[in-house]
Amino acid sequence: MYIQVDNAKTFVATGGKAFDASLPTVVLLHGSGLDHRGWALQARWFAFHGYSVFAPDFPAHSLSEGEALTSIEDMGAWLVRALDAAGVNEVHLVGHSQGFLVVLEAAKILSHRLQSVMAISTGSSIPVNPSLIETAQSNPNLAAQMMLQWGFGHQHQYGASAVPGMQPIGIGQRIMANNPLATDLSACNAYSAGEKRAQELANQGCPSCVILAAQDRMTQRHIGLKLAKDLGTQAQIIDNMGHMLPMEAPKQSLNIMKQFIQSVEN
Amino acid sequence: MSKSSFLGADTIALHSGYQPESDHGSRAVPIYQTTSYVFDSVDEASALFNVEQGGHIYSRITNPTVAVLEQRLAAIEGGAGAICTASGMSALFISFFSLCSAGDHIVSAVQIYGSTVTLLKHTLKRFNIDCTFVDINDQKALNAAIQNNTKLVFCESIGNPGLAVSNLPAIAATAHAHGVPLVVDATFATPYLNNPISHGADVVVHSVTKWIGGHGVAVGGVVIDGGNFDWLKSGRFPTLTQPYEPFHGMNFWEEFGPAALAMRIRCESMRDIGAAMTPHNAFLLLQGLETLNLRMQQHMSNTQAMVVWLQQHDAVAWVNHPDIDADAHTKALFPNGAGSMLTFGVKGGRDAGAAFINALQLSSNLANVGDSRTLVLHPGSTTHSRLTEQDLVSAGISADLIRVSVGIETIKDIQADFALGLRAATKVAEAQAAQVGS
Ligand SMILES: Cc1ncc(COP(=O)(O)O)c(C=O)c1O
Repeated sequence: MYIQVDNAKTFVATGGKAFDASLPTVVLLHGSGLDHRGWALQARWFAFHGYSVFAPDFPAHSLSEGEALTSIEDMGAWLVRALDAAGVNEVHLVGHSQGFLVVLEAAKILSHRLQSVMAISTGSSIPVNPSLIETAQSNPNLAAQMMLQWGFGHQHQYGASAVPGMQPIGIGQRIMANNPLATDLSACNAYSAGEKRAQELANQGCPSCVILAAQDRMTQRHIGLKLAKDLGTQAQIIDNMGHMLPMEAPKQSLNIMKQFIQSVEN
Repeated sequence: MSKSSFLGADTIALHSGYQPESDHGSRAVPIYQTTSYVFDSVDEASALFNVEQGGHIYSRITNPTVAVLEQRLAAIEGGAGAICTASGMSALFISFFSLCSAGDHIVSAVQIYGSTVTLLKHTLKRFNIDCTFVDINDQKALNAAIQNNTKLVFCESIGNPGLAVSNLPAIAATAHAHGVPLVVDATFATPYLNNPISHGADVVVHSVTKWIGGHGVAVGGVVIDGGNFDWLKSGRFPTLTQPYEPFHGMNFWEEFGPAALAMRIRCESMRDIGAAMTPHNAFLLLQGLETLNLRMQQHMSNTQAMVVWLQQHDAVAWVNHPDIDADAHTKALFPNGAGSMLTFGVKGGRDAGAAFINALQLSSNLANVGDSRTLVLHPGSTTHSRLTEQDLVSAGISADLIRVSVGIETIKDIQADFALGLRAATKVAEAQAAQVGS
């Protein structure tokens, strides 16, 4: 669906069903340079099993208009305005990579509206090599390729695909090269409040779940494990997969996602 | 440049899309000779049907062996996804069918394969899809032919059988300026010699039957979605950008973006038309793909040798290969040579040409190209026999034209065989001359 946020046309994927703000809402937030399509399969499962799905393209990403946001704090605040625009009250927030940094910031504003948080292939900070940011500024296509080469695990480098006949690396390259990757990466690199936010969430007793990938070369394992510790939970690690977990292991990641969210709902 | 893999082409051809499976460790890609796949549970079945989960349901739609070939071909061409089909013609048909509806229009190169001409000119016309044929490198003509209802520009990267090389970047630029995608049949070029997506093509089709298969044992086709075309911005493709009721009301562009066309083909054409590649054929064609690059090197060196040899032969009237006096775009698009097809005319015309073909021992006279073995054909009396005189001329075919698909045999043996043929042709030519003289 398209909604207006800050006077900009904003696309929100709803998993193939009309959005119904009265249902428990699962918010799926994409990573740097990516878009809602990374959640295509998971979004459909939630939408067809009693949830509403809210998977936005951040401003200036893929189907959303507007100016790219330059800080994680701004993205968190924007997300809350987007949820308000759609009339959403309580939410389960799920973030992949950069998307989880946004979860941490939005969580602060949402306070009691927050039902749970879920972190996928991420940490409470995502330091980015300055030379990658420079490349993303001067040659976004090359930077996208560098990230996909690091981002996908071995099986996908060898052409595996969860959807028969497709090439996830090729799909990712088209999406990332056309989105404001440099702005996203700079925002990640500059963000430093994550550890504190994660500890606050743990102190509030917010239910949380962390899914990591054994072959993640983008956000290192120790960063993800530290996040799980700060959130007061145990990380679950998916073998043989890389950083692009929502696309690489949609079924395995969905299984953990649905078990967790169902357990919070019940 | 569009990339779908960080492996080199030789490695992709051998490894992409398959790593030894865990049950038995089969090193070769197994043949999944099955129609259907057991669901773990009712929940899993409904998840598969509702696209909440990827996987196989029924082999008309997807099959694990076929999927390896699809993923490998998508990777080697730098595409977002691929669909393999029963033949090259069905790949072309579903490409046109997926992009056009009744009342729509196609602009096609005139220099293309005979059956594709009939598909565009007669068969699709019965469904009220019109086609305008143009000299594809004539930018003015191409520009003028694109109408408000035009849904695609079509060409072959190397035309069959005239061997005209399409100036892909220029054609793509003109098509894109109108918000129209470029569909390229790259059969004669093979992924080894040229990858059209990196030169602006939006959809690439191959008759996999030919060089990719390479052994002349299986018919097959593929449609590769380049993933770079913005179907929404174009405004011409409601089938991709609006909900499709017969498949969960899915909006393919919103859901799949760069793979929108591939998914639409999968969900509509494979379901409703069902021109599926069989797993066994996929296996055979994979064997070919695995050595494509090596074979192409030999195809190209033999072709280059044959061009020179024929040019120097007294009995030969003319030789045509795109590398002879190549124009700038041919050199730029085909740095390793523009394919292993050549045509030539035998002195003495049609009858001498027939004598040439009849005298050959090694080379096979048949209606195929891209086999590892050398193949010859007289198109005017076979593949292109249904075309009018005028169509023949527009397609660049003369009555004496002999089409050669140069194989990978030892070069001296091909030359010895052609020497036999040319000796027979010379006799006919001399007899003709004597008759004229007497
Ligand atoms: C350029 C070209 N495209 C498509 C085809 C059709 O392929 P198939 O015979 O696999 O249907 C051919 C067959 O000769 C061809 O030469």
